[in-house]
Amino acid sequence: MGKLDRFTPTSPLKRLVWTIGIVATAFMVMAPVYLLVKYSISDMESINTGGLPVPLWPYHPTFAVFSYLFTDPEFWQVVLNSLWIAIGTVLLSSLLGVPAAYVLARYKVPFRRAILIGIISVRLFPDISSVIPISVFFISLNLYSSFSGVILAHTLLALPYVIFIGMSAFEGIPRDIEEQAMTMGANQFQIFFRILLPIAIPGLAAAAIYTFLLSWDEFIFAHFLLDPGGKIQTLTLYLRSRITFQPPQNLLAAISVCLSLPVIIFSFAVQKYMISGMTAGSVK
Amino acid sequence: MSELIIKNIQKFYGDHKVIDKLDLQINSGEFVTLLGPSGCGKTTLLRMIAGLETIDGGELYIGGRKANNIPAQKRRIAMVFQSYALFPHMSVKNNIVFGLRIKGMELHDMFTRLDWVLPLLGLEGLENRLPREISGGQRQRVALARALVLDPDVLLLDEPLSNLDTALREMAMEELKRVHRQVGKTIIYVTHNQAEAMTMSERIAVMNAGHLEQYDTPGALYRHPRTMFSAEFIGSPSANFIPGTIEIKNGELVLNSEIGLLEIDETRKDYLRNFSGRSVVAGIRPQDIILSSTRTHRRASDSHVTLGVELIENHGDRSFVLGRFENGLPVRFMAANDSDYRTDARVEVLIDGRCIHLFDPETRQNILEK
Amino acid sequence: MKSGQEQFPSAARLKSILPLWPLLPAAFYLITFLFVVLSYLLYLSFSTASGAFPTLATAGNVFAMNEFRQAFVSTLLFVIVGTPLELVAGLALAMLIYKPFFLRSIVRTLFIIPLAVPGLVTATLLFIIFDSNGGFMNHILMGKYWFFPHVIRHAVDWRGAQWSALSVAMIGKIWRDVPISMLILLGGINAIDPELFDAAKTMGAGLRQRFRYVILPLIIPAISSVLLLRSIEMWKEFIFPYILAGRYHLLGTLIEFLYMEWGGKYEHEAAFVALVLVGCIVVSVAVFMFLVDIVRRMVSDVR
Repeated sequence: MGKLDRFTPTSPLKRLVWTIGIVATAFMVMAPVYLLVKYSISDMESINTGGLPVPLWPYHPTFAVFSYLFTDPEFWQVVLNSLWIAIGTVLLSSLLGVPAAYVLARYKVPFRRAILIGIISVRLFPDISSVIPISVFFISLNLYSSFSGVILAHTLLALPYVIFIGMSAFEGIPRDIEEQAMTMGANQFQIFFRILLPIAIPGLAAAAIYTFLLSWDEFIFAHFLLDPGGKIQTLTLYLRSRITFQPPQNLLAAISVCLSLPVIIFSFAVQKYMISGMTAGSVK
Repeated sequence: MSELIIKNIQKFYGDHKVIDKLDLQINSGEFVTLLGPSGCGKTTLLRMIAGLETIDGGELYIGGRKANNIPAQKRRIAMVFQSYALFPHMSVKNNIVFGLRIKGMELHDMFTRLDWVLPLLGLEGLENRLPREISGGQRQRVALARALVLDPDVLLLDEPLSNLDTALREMAMEELKRVHRQVGKTIIYVTHNQAEAMTMSERIAVMNAGHLEQYDTPGALYRHPRTMFSAEFIGSPSANFIPGTIEIKNGELVLNSEIGLLEIDETRKDYLRNFSGRSVVAGIRPQDIILSSTRTHRRASDSHVTLGVELIENHGDRSFVLGRFENGLPVRFMAANDSDYRTDARVEVLIDGRCIHLFDPETRQNILEK
Repeated sequence: MKSGQEQFPSAARLKSILPLWPLLPAAFYLITFLFVVLSYLLYLSFSTASGAFPTLATAGNVFAMNEFRQAFVSTLLFVIVGTPLELVAGLALAMLIYKPFFLRSIVRTLFIIPLAVPGLVTATLLFIIFDSNGGFMNHILMGKYWFFPHVIRHAVDWRGAQWSALSVAMIGKIWRDVPISMLILLGGINAIDPELFDAAKTMGAGLRQRFRYVILPLIIPAISSVLLLRSIEMWKEFIFPYILAGRYHLLGTLIEFLYMEWGGKYEHEAAFVALVLVGCIVVSVAVFMFLVDIVRRMVSDVR
């Protein structure tokens, strides 16, 4: 009867209040995104208004900051760095996480519950607390200010998500298929690579995208593990370094747009999985 | 004072008509069942009466008050849901008095009502249990108690027995009848189970595809189905339908059907003379097809037909037989278990002309019952 | 014979554990990091730059720091104020969209946009909007637009005062994370059989009573989930106060400040604060569980 609910009679007043609530919330949610885009295409006159109200739409919309960014080799360098780190994180965390997810989803693992709670706690542990010991450790291993150091750290953050999303991808496959293959004489490897992996690919791809995004917009570990004056900087660090006492607002906004665009686009592609990742552990 | 009148009522989901101009009148204190297959709109109609669905056209009067725009909270109705919808976090007692509490009733009166309803439904001793701690039958009774205690003008029951097993269901049916006799409330009961409807109701509204097929007492529904749908839906197993034409043969009015000539009883002949030459569909209940060997005396209105026995379903005292006429038309009938027939045998049956219901193949209406 | 009997179960055990080997790399990875993080954290916290270990000198230094005490109090306030706000906001959003309606899935997608915007970007935007000099928010509050009344006379230096800087950080944090609490609560509400609402309605309960007596008690598990998970996130918060509250530290930003600003001089103190932060979370989770247990017992007494 759930679907009939929408026809439940409600008074016009309640309906009005509800509509206002929806519209107001939608506005609150959209306004910052709008403002971000607006600032990124603002000309200087629309920013330094000399006391006049900041216009809701720039006087002379311009892509000047973007063309400045896109011709700046340093910008391309940090984008590439972020890209490499994110790809490295995806590869490493998938390599480690997918087999683990498969086993946790498919086998009777002793202390399974404790293991799952342990994996969730990795996520609940404050990054800002773990980053200090990891930095000190990496400095001693000569991993400071290197790609691999950041990739290793980001993999630590991503692994719980890969395992959880991967688990639900494998759990969604009916056990019969596996048993059918077993009766036909397939071994563990063949079952995994020929049957389960191809079926689980969409879910695993979502985990990979999620991991990519997590690494792409990560700030804390990049900030601690990369020398601020060093060669390797990421896009988030690049943005942070531009936030100074009186920064050019349109430049900040333009970098922000470049940073968030892939995140926003891909987030909606993997919305379902992202939600399950975000709310994992909320159901006891 | 608590009669219910439904006039021309309509319901749309988008372009789809769920209830199409339906009229229904229910007397004060009457037990009426809305009966029909799933998707016929019976639950929607009940929810419209409850105020849980908007009314898109027509009028609804409860106890003389026009109720179209009265919200569910103020309609003076009470409803028992299919899932019982007991509040899982409240004890049996709190579930029952929830509505009274909402209305701000005095504690003393609340307990008077509670003391009345608990023994009425045999719920003494369960007051402090949670819904998950009692059995399905008990939950059903709590749901009923919770509705009765509100002292509603109209009590609405939405398939309240469908989650019970057969034995419990029969007990619950008896109990519901007893409760109805004791409290005398107007009850509207929704079910797709014709046996439930036949056993309990004073009148049954047979619904199909959003409209009313027939509204009658159980006996009248069985004996005088007004449409082919009623004949098919009421009675178990459902009626056999055999196409034919009404003809005059040798000066006698007969039904020339696909399984041969069938006699028509004297009382209807005069009226049916106007229909000679018309094609009709004969509806014959399985109970009205009788093995010739079991009847000694013959009536003028009896016709004899032979058929092959294909399947026998033993029901203990009698069997339900699936047969096939010589022309290949299937037929279902009932036979006593002590009579002589077996699978693959050919048997002769007789059909009493008085029990043949004649329908118009176009309108699917009974050509005699108006 | 006897030894054979003993061998049989262990061999069976081995056979059942053997296929679990793909778990090992991830387990090794996580356990190594866990070991490194905990041991280094403890070691750094209880040692000094001059190599003394174990010592409480670092702890003493931290507790003597004015910044630490301030950061601790600010963080506590941040958690105590921010978590309920996020809960209430999430509940409000969930109540708006818990019933099916036309285009609900689109509205829901719209409502989770904040999750898709990186925290650093949201913080940067708030940095721009709450600028003291010609910032959008100041212009709005000064009544420069037709759509908003004149509230303040002079531009406010939002990032220049502790309470306003941390409030702006909290606004950012809540704006970004409210969809998560909305989704958890929505899950809780949608798990309720809609017939319960209908039943309450036919029994005379209005909107408010349905919320009070039906929805609220049935989503207590979801609510406690939100409070628990989101309060941990509030303790951990770094990026918003880091960008928006500069020198008005929370524990998270204090760690960064101690580690980064002094050329490694306060590395050990930073580690100790990090340890304190972990301790705060553990203690607050324990306190929370205790309170939930009490509430649960009270509810079951009332029934």
